[in-house]
Amino acid sequence: MKAKTTDLSGTSTGYKVFAAVVLVLLAIFFLFPLYWIVTGSFKNVIEINANYPIWFPQNPTLENYATLFERPAFKWLFNIIFISAAAMVLTCLTAALAGYALGKKRFYGRAVLFTIIICAMALPKQVIVIPLLQEMTFFHMNDNLWAVILPTVGWPFGVFLMKQFSETIPNEILEAARVDGAGELRTFFSVVFPMIKPGIGALAIFTFVNTWNDYFLQLVMLTRDKNWTLPLAIANLQGEMSTDFGLIMAGAALAAIPIVVVFIAFQKYFTQGIAMGAVKG
Amino acid sequence: MNMKKPLALLLAAGMTLGLAACGGTQGSTESPAAGGETGGSNTGSTVELSLWAFNIGGFTEASNWDSLIAAFNEANPGINVTVTPINYQDGDQKLTTAISSNNAPDIIFEGPERIVGNYARNGLMVDLGDLWTSGGSDIAEGISSVSQLDGTYYMYPLSVAAHCMAINYEAFEAAGALQYLDEENRTWTTDNFVKAMEAVRDAIADGTIAVKVPGIIYCGAQGGDQGTRALVNNLYSDYYVNEDGTSYLANSENNVKALTLLQDMVNNGSMSANASFAAADELQAFANQTAAVTFCWNYSNYTQYAEQTQFTPFAMAFPSDDGVPELEMAGPYGFGIFDNGDEAKIEAAKKFIQFVCDDQTAGVEAVKTTGFFPVHSSWGDVYAGAEDAELRAPFALMSDYLGRYYNLTGGWTEQRALWWPMLAAIMTTGADVQTEADNFVQQANANIG
Amino acid sequence: MAQNTVAAPAQTKPKKQKPSQFSGMSKALVRRETISAYLFLLPSLIFFVSFVVVPMFICVVYSFLEYDLSGVRGFAGLDNYIKLFQDPVFHRGFLNTVLIVVVAVPTVAAFSLWVSSAIYKMHPLPRSFFRCVFYLPVVTGSVAITVVWKWILHPYYGLLNQVAGTGTFDWLGNQHTAIWFIILILFTTSIGQPIVLYVAALGNVDQSLVEAAQVDGATKLQVFWKIKWPQIMPTTLYVLVITTINSFQCFALIQLLTKGGPLNSTMTIMYQVYDTAYRLNDLGYANAIGVVLAIIIAIFSAVQFKLAKTE
Repeated sequence: MKAKTTDLSGTSTGYKVFAAVVLVLLAIFFLFPLYWIVTGSFKNVIEINANYPIWFPQNPTLENYATLFERPAFKWLFNIIFISAAAMVLTCLTAALAGYALGKKRFYGRAVLFTIIICAMALPKQVIVIPLLQEMTFFHMNDNLWAVILPTVGWPFGVFLMKQFSETIPNEILEAARVDGAGELRTFFSVVFPMIKPGIGALAIFTFVNTWNDYFLQLVMLTRDKNWTLPLAIANLQGEMSTDFGLIMAGAALAAIPIVVVFIAFQKYFTQGIAMGAVKG
Repeated sequence: MNMKKPLALLLAAGMTLGLAACGGTQGSTESPAAGGETGGSNTGSTVELSLWAFNIGGFTEASNWDSLIAAFNEANPGINVTVTPINYQDGDQKLTTAISSNNAPDIIFEGPERIVGNYARNGLMVDLGDLWTSGGSDIAEGISSVSQLDGTYYMYPLSVAAHCMAINYEAFEAAGALQYLDEENRTWTTDNFVKAMEAVRDAIADGTIAVKVPGIIYCGAQGGDQGTRALVNNLYSDYYVNEDGTSYLANSENNVKALTLLQDMVNNGSMSANASFAAADELQAFANQTAAVTFCWNYSNYTQYAEQTQFTPFAMAFPSDDGVPELEMAGPYGFGIFDNGDEAKIEAAKKFIQFVCDDQTAGVEAVKTTGFFPVHSSWGDVYAGAEDAELRAPFALMSDYLGRYYNLTGGWTEQRALWWPMLAAIMTTGADVQTEADNFVQQANANIG
Repeated sequence: MAQNTVAAPAQTKPKKQKPSQFSGMSKALVRRETISAYLFLLPSLIFFVSFVVVPMFICVVYSFLEYDLSGVRGFAGLDNYIKLFQDPVFHRGFLNTVLIVVVAVPTVAAFSLWVSSAIYKMHPLPRSFFRCVFYLPVVTGSVAITVVWKWILHPYYGLLNQVAGTGTFDWLGNQHTAIWFIILILFTTSIGQPIVLYVAALGNVDQSLVEAAQVDGATKLQVFWKIKWPQIMPTTLYVLVITTINSFQCFALIQLLTKGGPLNSTMTIMYQVYDTAYRLNDLGYANAIGVVLAIIIAIFSAVQFKLAKTE
């Protein structure tokens, strides 16, 4: 890792070596859990329960995956993808509209609304879970994937993020559109939308990952095993099977690998999106 | 600030619309994601029943309900039963979720601890007196008494067994510890138990056997508490609750003696204790030959772990100073009906329960699936002549040692939450036994009334 | 509120915001804007109000009720709140929550800033490699990460004991060590995003200012504190806020590793809400704890905003 040293001139070589070593060690530390998941999923019972470290499976086995797929693992994978994707689409749509209004419109109640949204952003879902569950019964959505999706869409972080983005749109452009006689909706779709597209991309990625990881909502909302999601299933398998770590690692690998692959493939957009969201904030 | 009014109005409007919109969403999109669990029960002629079943014995494999339900549906075409399997790790959470959101299942399959002690006590269950009148005449007094609360029956039982412990036979043999147990009656005295565990410890130390620890006292919450309870109570022949059910007894002289003995065993390495372990972890450690004994054994666990074990798990009663163990009843497992206010559903649910518990063909099948013993004494030995009769014999033997049933004592749910921290404090932090036990009893008794 | 509404027209002057927000707009325009704004907001508000605002409101109502599995037993007044102040479990949960936030948040912020400043000038390839690596635990998923740690920390089959030679030490079963592992794992799943943010923020620092300072003979440290630090302040604020929210909300970790134990040593307020509702079935009390948690979080966030602004 050769840094362009022009303005690192003040830094001693000793420090640079130290930094490099620490970085590499940290990288190993951060990569290790994923490595352990993947290799663990191919270990047999004896290797899983060995009392000395087995760094790499000696007799790789697919047994764990076979056991996993005796259960509806593909359904679980489908469920989590469906939940994350649906939450992503709905969040992006509603948040883009609302963020634009909050960022660019001047209207009665704006300050109050924005304050409420800021406050609600930090609110843990655990706090409101009991009423939330009762609402789901009211809507006949118990043990239904939508019971996870809808509260996720209700979380106002997306609105906040899109407001930050919308604020960067120059007023003159909106004014010009209005002078041209464009209606509100046309202004939004033909002028605003293209300008906040990167922001929507960021929000999409963000929502997808966060929904995927929102174990709590999945835990309280989904009961029957055909409605489980993959993360929930791993947790439940751990409850049922205790320390059958081979099986659990197979589930963890199945849950982690797709999203890690997507992440690496779209890494650029991922990091750009996240960075943009905050720099504006 | 006259902007607040329109805002409030809009919020209200948004809410109403929200309700409407979501109601709509549900109608159109529910089908792929979830079946009609809450679907109208009275539409048409079919009554939809939801059954939530704990993973008891062979019913851990949810598909084992299928044939039973198919047979029931054939006999009762107007009723459709859907099974949702739940487990002891998060079953309580699932049930609380469902109950608090007015979405309780129609039928629950569990033991009196929850059906009677928790849910009936909270007024959630249906009176099952008529089932008892029509079919309960040959059910033992001990079982019928625990199926009721204040004279009303809330549970109808299917099968029963006893909770016991088990040892790794080969490991004990290699450690020379078999001499300390009565293999025929499957009992041992407290002194012999201590000697046996010390022998195992020494055998581990000199590498004679491959297990890692003699035994594990699991102190992590949720489930399996019957094992640690029975262990403590039996060591010096005391009880968990006093006779009239007005006080927990963890701080009695004998129970404190027992807890102290276990603490000493932990300290001298003839026992181990893990605060991060739940019963399932301990069982798995036993199955993996990490621990030489388990305190959470019954036929159901035997079958569940049979595939994994590379040794002979040998069922034993809990050690007792007088050599006469008093075991805790496993179950009786049976059914309760949640009062969802729908007469048709309640009637249908009763039919289902009668079919599973009283119909001799279906009932024997169901009993065999649980792996336990029928509550109907008139059914006799349902396992007679079965291939695995020999494997079951030890578990049948355990039924002779059944002791008092105290799981319906008031404040049961709360005291379970207190029991684990007490064990953890005593076994893993070396806290003073008497202080911790007094503390436990004081807090547990606060909820007893 | 009612008082406000009545008084408002009479004293429009002190409202500083009003003239600035609507300056130069006709009444009709303001009305039109307001209507169209709410139409834009409507889809989002439907979800927000239905699934956040209304439940929060109901939650506050429940917190004043005596409410358990058998339903609402009666009005509890302030009993649930009074109980809270006498409940040793809540005290422990409060202290643990503060500990987690006070340790995790500054560590995450400082650490991610250090990593970022070490990598932001690197060649794009190693830079994105490191950014990726540190972000990996986030995408791997909280449940997957948690279960693998559970295995690593297992007293009998865990890698940590095997490598460290610590016998069968029960890291998660020891009341002094358990919470530190919770914090460590929380840390590994929290620094990914801040690093991405800081790398971007440091890259955007105005180079001309940095160069000018260097010409004036400023040391590396001086350049950092005097020039870079103020410019990345908004990012720092954002990092603090999201990390705080993350720390308050870590659920999977506690649920899957310790369930608040041993001896409540990893009990947090958030987990107590769940535990009280679902294990102890005391729904009224659970909601009261929830309300207090919401207030605590609001105060925390407000303090952070204030601190960041005054600096």
